[in-house]
This record gives sequence, structure tokens and C-alpha cells, in this order.
Amino acid sequence: MRIGRGPATVIGENAVSQTTLLCCSGMRLSREKARSGIAPWQLAWGFLLWNYFASRRRRVVNRVRLAGLLKRSAYAVAAAFLAIGALHAQASTTPAEPKPLREVTDETGRAVRIPQAIRRIVSLAPSVTETLYALGVQDRLVGDTDYCDFPQDARNKTKVGAILNPSIETIASLHPDVVFVTKINRLETVHALETLGIPSYATDPHTVDAILASTQRLAEILGVPDSGAAVTSDLRYRLTDLHQRLASQPVRRVLFVVWTEPLLSIGKDTFIADAIQHAGGVSVVDSSQSWPQVNLEEVVHLQPEFLIFTESHSQTSMPGIDALAQLPGWRILDAVRNRRYVTISDAVNRPAPRIVSAIEDLAHQLHPEAFVPGGAQHAAPQPGKIGAIEQDLVEESVCAR
Amino acid sequence: MRPLTLQRLVLQCGLLALILFVVIVIALKLGAVPVSLYGLARDLVQALLGQTSGISSDYGLIIIDIRLPRILLGVLAGASLALAGTSFQALLRNPLADPYILGVSYGAAVGAMLASILEPHLSIPASVAALLTPLGAFLGAACTITVVYLLGRREGQIDSATLILGGVITGSFLSAVIMFLITTVTGRDMHGIAFWLMGDLSTPLQPSLRWFLGVGFLIAAVTIYTTASDLNLLLSGEKEAMHLGVDVDRVRIVVYVAASLLTALAVSVSGAIGYVGILVPHVMRLIYGSDHRVLLPTAAFGGAIAIVIADTLARTVVAPTELPVGAVTAIAGAPLFIYLLRRRAV
Repeated sequence: MRIGRGPATVIGENAVSQTTLLCCSGMRLSREKARSGIAPWQLAWGFLLWNYFASRRRRVVNRVRLAGLLKRSAYAVAAAFLAIGALHAQASTTPAEPKPLREVTDETGRAVRIPQAIRRIVSLAPSVTETLYALGVQDRLVGDTDYCDFPQDARNKTKVGAILNPSIETIASLHPDVVFVTKINRLETVHALETLGIPSYATDPHTVDAILASTQRLAEILGVPDSGAAVTSDLRYRLTDLHQRLASQPVRRVLFVVWTEPLLSIGKDTFIADAIQHAGGVSVVDSSQSWPQVNLEEVVHLQPEFLIFTESHSQTSMPGIDALAQLPGWRILDAVRNRRYVTISDAVNRPAPRIVSAIEDLAHQLHPEAFVPGGAQHAAPQPGKIGAIEQDLVEESVCAR
Repeated sequence: MRPLTLQRLVLQCGLLALILFVVIVIALKLGAVPVSLYGLARDLVQALLGQTSGISSDYGLIIIDIRLPRILLGVLAGASLALAGTSFQALLRNPLADPYILGVSYGAAVGAMLASILEPHLSIPASVAALLTPLGAFLGAACTITVVYLLGRREGQIDSATLILGGVITGSFLSAVIMFLITTVTGRDMHGIAFWLMGDLSTPLQPSLRWFLGVGFLIAAVTIYTTASDLNLLLSGEKEAMHLGVDVDRVRIVVYVAASLLTALAVSVSGAIGYVGILVPHVMRLIYGSDHRVLLPTAAFGGAIAIVIADTLARTVVAPTELPVGAVTAIAGAPLFIYLLRRRAV
């Protein structure tokens, strides 16, 4: 067994397989640098290994005390450390790529250093993915999560895994300039990215206005303030229009159902609660938690006028609601007796520009009389002056429904 | 018991070290991002020589900065849990003893959680604050093993059934405490804690902690190893060991503290990973016999191998999404444990 030749074979293969490797990644320079300066140590290592195995064969060991063993291993460890230390001292330090950076403060108050020009983005939240599409910068989006399903094209992006447990190495392999995260991601993921020197920017809007501001801020960071202004001013216009229509309408008391078993609703400090207010309703649940578990007794006591479900949840399709209506507790709710259910797009669950479409849809269903003539539930939202990008979004969301 | 020779010890540990090395190399190769074997070999050699500049940033970042630290974390956690399990089993003379079943893992988890809750309220430098979680985990583990030991003691001797029941009850009490802490105190994400409780290696360690944990592991492991022959004698019973000249009280305290430290290390880096602490010692005992001078190091290697394999599966089975490693060890570990149980090997 000629151990000494081990590294030599590896180097020998170098020239052959290098060409194939080069096709997949443009790392020619660093790879060629990697080849230089290998010859001296390969001999040294070979000698050490050969010497070690040869001497082991010669030595006859029967019973040796543990103390001896420990002493020997201590020597070995010390020698190894010395060797590594010496080699480290020889090694040159990595020259950092000079990339102009700037410091921004994200929505959780963290100071983040990101490159001046952001060309490669990984999004770890469906809402951010939607926002990037709305801003028209989808070409820079190089990776998103399994849950990023809107618009349709977002499904075709490279997937980095689920929201809670994405593959950090897949993210790293995409070389993002910045990773966008929200509070639905784990702090651990952010820390892991930090360790690797990948900056992450968090959005955390708690109101509909904050969603618009967040969209505008994102547009500025990405260097497309104009499309940000176009998107947000249009959304503002639609919201103002809605307010005028609903001004004379009574406020509907609603229960927003996030989950039925157990019954989860929304807290007052969420953007969903704010979205409901924009649609002329108010959530009966008054909790400071984000996703409070609600006692059905309390719901019966509060008697909401409407129950709001979202489409994403299989349990909340109409037959599911009918099954729910048979259950004790639910049965005695006025909203169930009068069949006052509202089902809206799951866009309401995502703090992205599309939430305004969901708000309009909800307003139509809660206050049909405000949208005469007709007051049909599936009437297209009043478009107003819509930017080209937003127009696409609305069309797609209407198609999705 | 065969007399221990250095040759036998080196041969057996060397074989396991070789297997561990092969497993680590395979684990480095596998992952969500495909890496060629050649690229892996070259980058490893480069990293070993400290020539970081030569590593292509693509593979280098993934292999050296993501996979290797995670694998080494797994080695540390696996070896710690297996060592703690082996020494608990010997000391308590109970084949079911294991940090998870005795509730020690949960104690460490409560301690770590309390430390991370307290951390923002204390005005201490960041370098000290980083040590707070492992320290909290250690205190939690040490308190739990003391309580469980007192619960399991009857008339000066450890009662096997009482001890295990005491451990299970303590564990379930502590997991209730964890649930309470999660629902009341944490304004922070619950998801992270949920993953951590299942056992998860995806969070890299802060560089300042690496040395601390590595040195802590070495100290605890060597300390336990110095009691190996005493543990052999303890297998015949505390009184018998005392008659044979073993300072039982000293051994007990040394092993409890060291094993709690190991559990705390494992829990603070990876959360509560089950089954490694109980299964690996049994498998190793089947292969190598119950001489703790051989069993302890082989179990450490076995634990490391088991976790690295489990974590590689966790990283690759549903890639790019990752599973918590604790789910993999439980899925693989429970049937294996039942098999060993039915064979009456345990």
C-alpha cells in the first residue's frame, strides 16, 4: 500500500476533471490559484503517513498503561497543532472582494450592511416574493421558498426549502446579495446567514399603511423607487376610494377564522385586523397576541355578525363550513344560523400589495349595498388608475379566484 | 473480562475513527447542493493546509463554512450524548438510563431557555452573554440529575424502577414548564424553540462558543474516562464496589457532574435529541462487551457516527427543506430499540 502516492493521484486527476467543473461555475481564477503550491507538502504528508504506518508494523506492543497512551496522544496532538499552526502562518489571507456596501436599518430595527447594487435576491417569505413581482424586479429573484406560489412564475424559481427550515447551503450557493425575511422565519436562520456573511433584511409591517410603506422602502433599497411609487400610489388611491364608499356604512363585527381546531383568530396588532377595518369591519377578538387561541364560549358571547374564512385552508371551503355549522357551539352562533360567511382570497394573509385586492373583495362581501348597482360578490374591483404592474397582479388574482 | 491491551483499544477505536471519517466525508459530499467528490477532496486538503484563499468560494463556503461546522457540531453532540448515556447506565446500573429518559435533557432545555429569556435583561458584555445559554443548560441538567437521583434512592441504594419513573415524571414536569414558558414568556418565534426541542443542528455555533464547548467536551470526556475502571466495578453494585476499594461517593459526583456537563453541551447546541444516549451504548456493549475502558471511547465514536448519519439524512431526505435531526433519530431509534429489547439484549 503506497499511501504516499495518495495526494499525487488526486492532483493527477485535477487537470482532467477541472474542465468539466468549470462549466457549472465561473470560478476559473480561484481554481487555478488553488493548483499552485501543492507539490512540497504532498511529499511531506506522504512521508509522514508512510513513516507512521511502517513504524506501526515494526513495533510490537502488548500491554501498555493508559498513562503511556495519554502521553503519546498528547505528543501527537501537540505535533499536529504545531504543524497546522506553522502551515496557517504560511498561508496567505483571503483578500475580501471589494463590494461597495451601505448600511440600512430594517423594519425590526437591525442595522444591516448590504451591497450598493442588489442584483441577486433570495426571498424567504411569500409576501416578499409577491412584493418583488409587484415592483417588477422578479429577474433579480434567484431563489424563494416552497410556499412562494404567487404569481405563477414564482413557483418556477429555485426553491431553497420551506419557510421555517430552508437549506442554508442552497441559499449560499445562489450567492444572494441580500436575503429577505419576515417574522414568519426563524431567528436561527437569520443567525446562520449572518455567520456566513450573507446579509438579511427583515420586513415586519403591522398595518396596511405599513405594508405600503414597506413596499416603497423595498423599492428604494432595490433602486426602483419609481415603480414603488407607482404601485403604492395606486393602492392608496384604491383604499381612499373604498373609504369614501364605506364612510356611511355601519361597521361589521367579524370573526376572522385562521384555524378551526383549535379556533385561532387574529390579534388587534396584526395587519389582518387593520385590513378588516379598511374593509369596513372590526374583529371581535381583542388580543395583543398575534394568533390568539379563542374560546368558542367567548365567540358565542361576542356574537360576530360575519365569519371570515380564507381560501387557502381546505377546511374552510363551503362544505367544510357546513360541517362546522353542525357542531355544538358553532350551531348557536347567529352568523352560522344566518349563513353569514365570507370567504376571501388568502392574499389577506400576506403583507404584500395584493392585500388591497383582498380588502376590496371583503368590502364587497361585507357591504354589498355600498357597491350598487348590482352589488355582485364577484364584481371586479374598481380599478381606478392602475399601473401596468399592478394591473397584471389584479388580473392574476382575479383569475386565481 | 479480557485484559485490556493498547493494541486492542487502538484497533477498535481506530476502526471506529476510520468509519467516522468515512461517514464525515460522505456527509460532506451529500447535501442540497451537489458537490463533486473531486471538488470536495481538493477543498478539504486546501482547508487542512489553511490555504483558504485557494478554495473556490462556491464549494468552499458550502463545505467548509456550512457542512463541516454542522457535522462537527453533530460529532460533539453525538459523542456527548453517548458518553453521558453510557456513564448514567453504569452509575445507575440501569439499562434504560439515558439523558433523555432521566429528564436531564429537559432540565438542560429549561435552563437554556431561562438563560435566553434572562439574557436581554442583564447588562453583560456579549462575549459573556454567549456563554449564558450553555451555562444555564448545565445548571438545569445538574439540578435535574440531582433531583432524579434523590427520587430514585431508597435505603441508600438506587432502586432501578423508582429511578426511571422519577426521571420520566421529572421529564414530563419539565416539558410542561417548557410549554408554559413558550406560551407565556416568548414574544420571540415559537417555531425556533419547537425545532430546538425536537433536536436540530441547523443553527451554527458562534465562533466564540466553539472553543468553549470543545474544551468543555474534552475535559468532561477525559474526566469520565478516568473513572472507567471504577465504573466496571460499580456494575456489581455500590456496596460491592465500595468493598473493592472504590470511592463510590467521589466517582458518583465526578460522573454526575461530567455527564451533566456533556448533556448540557449537547442540548445547548442541538436541543433534545433522543435515542442516541440510550441506543448507542447498548449497540457498542453488544459489540465490544461491557469493559468501560473500551466501551466509553467506542460509544463516543458510535454516538458521533449515529448523529452524523442521522443529520445527513435530515439534510437530504426532503432537500432543500430540512428535517430536525431528533425526528430522524427517533424514527430510526425506536424500532431498533424495540428489536434489541425483544432479543433481550438490553
